[in-house]
Formats: sequence, structure tokens, C-alpha cells
Amino acid sequence: MYDLIIRNGTVVDGSGLPGYQADVAVKGNRIAKIGKIAETADKEVDAAGKVVAPGFIDPHTHFDAQLLWDGAAKPALSHGVTTIVPGNCSLSLAPLKADHRMRLVGMFNQIEEMPYKAFREGVVWDWETFSEYITRIRKGLAINVAPLVGHSVIRLWVMNDAATERTATDAEIAEMQDVLRECLDAGAAGLSTSYVDMDETLQPVPSRYADAREVDALAAVLGEYGRMLQIVPEFYEPDLTIARLDQLAEMSIKYQIPTTFSPLFVNSDNVDAVDKVMNRVDEQFARGARVWPQVQTRPIDISFSFAVPSLLFIRYPNWYRIMRFGTPEEIKAHFADPENRKARAAEVADAKDLWPRLVLRQVKTDANQKYVGKTLAGIAAERGVTPVEAMIDISVEEDLEAHFLAADMGHNNDDKVVSLLKHPRVHIGASDGGAHILSFSTYGDTGYLFGHFVRNLKTMRLEDAVKKVTSDTASIWGIPERGLLQPGYIADIAVFDPQTVDRGVEKFVQDVPGDGSRYVRDSRGVDTVIVSGGIAWSAKGGYQEARGAVLPGETSRQPELVAAE
Amino acid sequence: MSDTILSVVRKSIRPQAGDSWATIAERELPKLKTEDGVSSLQSWNLHVYMRAPAPEGSPRAGNPILPSDVIFIEPPMAAA
Repeated sequence: MYDLIIRNGTVVDGSGLPGYQADVAVKGNRIAKIGKIAETADKEVDAAGKVVAPGFIDPHTHFDAQLLWDGAAKPALSHGVTTIVPGNCSLSLAPLKADHRMRLVGMFNQIEEMPYKAFREGVVWDWETFSEYITRIRKGLAINVAPLVGHSVIRLWVMNDAATERTATDAEIAEMQDVLRECLDAGAAGLSTSYVDMDETLQPVPSRYADAREVDALAAVLGEYGRMLQIVPEFYEPDLTIARLDQLAEMSIKYQIPTTFSPLFVNSDNVDAVDKVMNRVDEQFARGARVWPQVQTRPIDISFSFAVPSLLFIRYPNWYRIMRFGTPEEIKAHFADPENRKARAAEVADAKDLWPRLVLRQVKTDANQKYVGKTLAGIAAERGVTPVEAMIDISVEEDLEAHFLAADMGHNNDDKVVSLLKHPRVHIGASDGGAHILSFSTYGDTGYLFGHFVRNLKTMRLEDAVKKVTSDTASIWGIPERGLLQPGYIADIAVFDPQTVDRGVEKFVQDVPGDGSRYVRDSRGVDTVIVSGGIAWSAKGGYQEARGAVLPGETSRQPELVAAE
Repeated sequence: MSDTILSVVRKSIRPQAGDSWATIAERELPKLKTEDGVSSLQSWNLHVYMRAPAPEGSPRAGNPILPSDVIFIEPPMAAA
């Protein structure tokens, strides 16, 4: 007698080998049998016409905060993602002293665009250590979590305010090593650091004050555990990216650790720049280093309103300053002033090709509904102003609640992107799941992979795409017993229709604590998602069982399931 | 495997404790006058030179170089 049987599906097992017709039986939290199964089970899923694959693993997310109020990391789970890696880019929510909480919230707000109000109203701060944070998120955990610990946070823990003032002493580095060991013992999947991020005062985050000696010492600790080092390099410039990946390669070889850098984008203005980086990646792999570039599947879309500072304006200091530090009233007054309106329009004049093609996607007032769905070029022509002036005027008229969309901003050369996605030394990732919630949806990258590149363009085999986001990822990160469908492995499974799987339309929903909103995409074509043998989500039943585990340190958090084996 | 020869890439260094543009120029570009070396370094490292200044009173005030920075000590290489 099995607990669950998935019948009549095409098993694409994560190995890259051709799919085949078979049933899959689950007992407890593990796959018990694959083949023709005559027995019955308490629960059965009819997968006729559908693919049965290992659950997808998303290696670059920022669900750290969301996991405190949503153990399913919605809607990631509904897209077939059964394991997420939070804590990237030097930022995790532990270890964190009480005195540093608001400082870290400021960094999350600046870097990942998580609203202050969500932290104030959605978080009960009842942890300090990494172990306590893990205990905190286990309650109601429906998705597996392989959490990184952030270098900036470790620095703050050990050095307090000096973390953003100077290099560490030998004693402080030794203390950081001990803290990292405690985090790894408590279940951390590795360490993240950043060479680009800024805090809420627009000053470098703590990790950027570390010298090579400090990073090397922390990598040595990772070597004791064989765990991952993730970095954010200066991804906008290939020479800088190469310098960083060379540094990673040295540590990878010296301490025999896997390393990854994210993101690696295809630059629309210089599509061949990625070749230069990939040549170096190939050379370093040939030396025996593991330096995995992470490439996202989706093109870059950015939505924004004037109510929050958008990445789109980060290179325009006066725009960014007023959006970052102004109150809503101050921002509105600033742009309503004719002199400021003129000056701000002049400041962004260099991007003259961008503004006309922005689309107005949402307004509050009836008066401006007629413009929704139109480009700024069209709206400007109707109003007799320039596109930038139209954007400013409508934002003021809408009390800053006019939302604009800048679509296809980059990483949209399909031929180049798919050549990277298929590359044996590229790691599909960099979704940023759970972050930038007011700029774009970070959900549905796997749906886009299967819908756009596999089904529509036919530039990637289904089996290869599944392998990339399952067994490859599990192997790269050292996550045991997941990423493949085979007897004995943990039953993390995604059942989806290859003819319809995709990401849904991006929409703005209000489901963040503190009456906050975010951009999301629902899944399309995903039928059932199974985590540790339990149905975690289905298209018919929605979110159901919560059997998520913390990886790679444990195979299941459900003692009764382990006992049942 | 580790004997694989790497291709030549643009030369860079990591700052040493207390480094400024001038100390890096004197150490890495000894054939140039310090002021010329500083000027060259700044033009090759706009990612550091164009960084927003640290606030007054900060230990970094007046020096944008961070301990974690990559500092190029030669111009970009010509495309192959």
C-alpha cells in the first residue's frame, strides 16, 4: 500500500534522459517505485498527458522575510518550485542582534525593495541566532529551504557599527569564522557576499568593507563543510566580473568549495560581452575550479510608480534622491513644481529612446483610465507634452499611484540567452524570488523556460531544461537525495502540462503584511506540486500540506515520516 | 588540472590597508609621476571614482576606495 500514486504521466526524471511512460509511487516522504503499479494508494493523481518531473530548485531568492508569514513562498510553490535558496547577496535575517534589526530592514528595503511596513506588521522578532531563525521558519514550512547566511550580517554581528567603517582585526575575523561555523551547523547551505550593494543611506553594505584576508578566512570555513560561496559581482562590466570570478576560482580550488556568481545578464548593447565572461568560466573550470554563473530565463521588465524608489532611476541622482528620501507629499510637491519638472525632465533626457515606449499600466482616477495600456509616446501626443512630462504629470495627478511598465529592458536576445541556458557550465537561477516586489514579478521563471524556450521556440529539449533546474542544481549545491526521480529519493515532484505550462500575466496584488502590494505571476499548466511526499499545492485544491525541510542539513523535518520508512 | 594556463586578462589589484589613489599609483605605476598615475587609475576605475562620497566624519571621507574593490592598473584590453 502506497501513500500516493501519480499515474499515466511521462516521467522526465531530471537526468536529461528521454522521458518515458510510467507511474510513480510514494511511501512516506520518498519515492518507492517507478513503473507499472497495480497497487492502490490513499491519494492518486492522474497525470495523463502531463510531465512528472522532480520539483524545481531556485538557487537565488530573497524569501527570508516572506517565510516568516508565508511558509509556501507563494506563488513560487505553485510554479513547481519545491526548494528555494534565500539569503543571497550578503543579506540574511540571521544571525541578527536586536539592536541591528532596523538597520538590516533598511538594507532589505533598499536592496530588495521589501517595504518597511511589511517588517513592522508581518514580523515578530523572536530570534537572534541562525538556529533560532531556522526554528522560527520551520512552523508551517511548505517549501524546502536551503538558506545562505549573509556576510554583511555576520560582520554586523561581530563588528557592530565598525562593520561599515573598516577592515576586521585578526580577532574579529576569527570570531566571524566561529559565527559562520555555528550557522553552518544550524543548517546554512553556505555564505553569500556582495561587491555592489548599498544600504538605505546609499553607502556600501558591510561586506564591501571586507578585505581579501577576511573573505579567504570565511571561505576556509566553507571548505570545512564543503558548502557554497555566492557573490554578487559588478555584473554590469565584464572585466570586473572576470576579476571576481578569478577570485572565486582561487578560493574554490584552495578550499575545494563550489562557488556561484549572480547575475550574468545578456546586455542588449553588447551581447557578446557574456562570451568574454564565459570563456573565462570555461578556463577556470578546466583548472578544476567551480565558478557557476547564474543566468535567469526571463527578460528584464521593470514596473514602477513615483511612490517608491525604482531601479530604473538609480543612475539619475536627483530623481533617485527624492524618491528614496522624500515623503509622498514631498515627492508630489517636488514634481508639481514647474521648475523641478523641467529640471528632472532634462536630467533623464539621455534615455530619450526609453521614455516614449513605457506603458501606463494602472491608475486610480477615472479621468486617466483612458490612458491605461497606452505608451507614453501616445499619451504625450494626446496631451501635447513630452513623454517624460506626461509621466510626471500623471504621477502627480494620481497621487503617485500611477504605475508604468518598462518592458524588455534587456536580457531579451533569445538566441544568446538560450545558448547560455544550455551551456554545461551555466547554472539557471538569479530569479531574485521574493525581492523587488514593487518593480517586477520574480515568479514563473521555470514556466517561462518551458513555455518560451522549450515549447514555443523549440530551442531547448524538455529533458535538458528539467535537468538544468533539478538534478544539476542539486548537484551544484550539494543537496542530497533530491533533483532526480528515482526510488529512494525524497518525493519532491512537479506535475505539469507541457502544452500549456507558462508563467501567467504579471499583476499587482495586495497580499503583503501592512496592506502592502507586490507584482506576481500565477502559474499556468502546473497541475500538482509534491514536497516530501505530500501534496503541497494543486491546481484544484490550492495550497495544502506543509512538509518543507531545511536543506542540506536535513532530509525531512517530519519525524513521523522518517519513522514510517 | 590546476596547471591549465589561463589567458591574459586585464590586470587588477586588491587595495592594501590604508590605500589611496596616490599610494596605489606609486606602488603599481612607478614609472609615472604620482599625479599622472592617479589620473590614469581614476580613468580606468570609474566604478570606484564615480562612487558617491562617504559622509563627512566617516573614516572613509575623501577616499572612495573600499577594501573589497577591484582596482585596474591598466586600461581595457583591445578586443581580440
